[in-house]
Amino acid sequence: MSALTLTSVGGESFRVTPTRIDFNLRLVFTGSGDMNATAVVNDYLKLVHDEAQRLGLAQVSCDFTQLTFMNSSCFKSFVVWIDTVKKSEVRYQIAFLTNPNLPWQRRSLEALRRLAANLVTIETIA
Amino acid sequence: MTPSDDARALVSLSLSFQPLANQIGPLRALVSDLCKPHLGDADGLSRLLLAAHELLENIVKYSTGDAAEFHLLLETEASGLRVRLRTKNRAAPERMADARWRLDALAAARDPIAHYDELIRDSAGRRDVSGLGLARIPAESELSLRYTTEQDWLILTAEGSASERMRG
Repeated sequence: MSALTLTSVGGESFRVTPTRIDFNLRLVFTGSGDMNATAVVNDYLKLVHDEAQRLGLAQVSCDFTQLTFMNSSCFKSFVVWIDTVKKSEVRYQIAFLTNPNLPWQRRSLEALRRLAANLVTIETIA
Repeated sequence: MTPSDDARALVSLSLSFQPLANQIGPLRALVSDLCKPHLGDADGLSRLLLAAHELLENIVKYSTGDAAEFHLLLETEASGLRVRLRTKNRAAPERMADARWRLDALAAARDPIAHYDELIRDSAGRRDVSGLGLARIPAESELSLRYTTEQDWLILTAEGSASERMRG
């Protein structure tokens, strides 16, 4: 099995850290996804898709339990990513892991699930 | 902002400032600190902060000139709390036209969530600007959003109800 080439990106206020277990990739998002994070998220999700295709991943999990906020521009990057996966010949599942103490997450991510109900799942981590 | 006649202001904040991106986080934190003691649940605060953040980013991204305004009013009403956020900024003609188009479409939509979903689907294949920030406010914060203009000034008002914290 090929090695993961994705690395952590971001800084103190926002960071994404990847971990791979077999055919699952887990991305841990921490901090605040605001204007400073927009370009990072946009570029990173393109790399994630390329990596998922290269490695034949079954699922990418986005762990938002430590993500305090995400603005509409970062959200748009997820829209584009999900749409790209939808249109790909080889697809993978996308799971969002949410924090029940951050109510915006469920509300925002439901819109992404409605965009691709067959690809996107939302799980609450107690 | 002036409270309505039969209401009592719990928080009233008016700010004139030169908008900068690094001010959004601290301003959002200030809104949280001011309103959290009065709001009845975490969801209400979360919805308010989402609207405040998107309005502030809208100012930072699109205002022209050095001056902008941000107003917050949280007041009691018979059935609970009423929250009002208002921003005022100068906008370039093309930005003003785009904002009017988006806000008119939003006002004409019967269901803000269905409208937001439609915008998301339409934006999926585009890698340019988000175009989702203003529509996100009524869809996710459950605040109504309306606008007025004064020459080249764009004035946005987000307003709605919130539940009040029970006093022990």
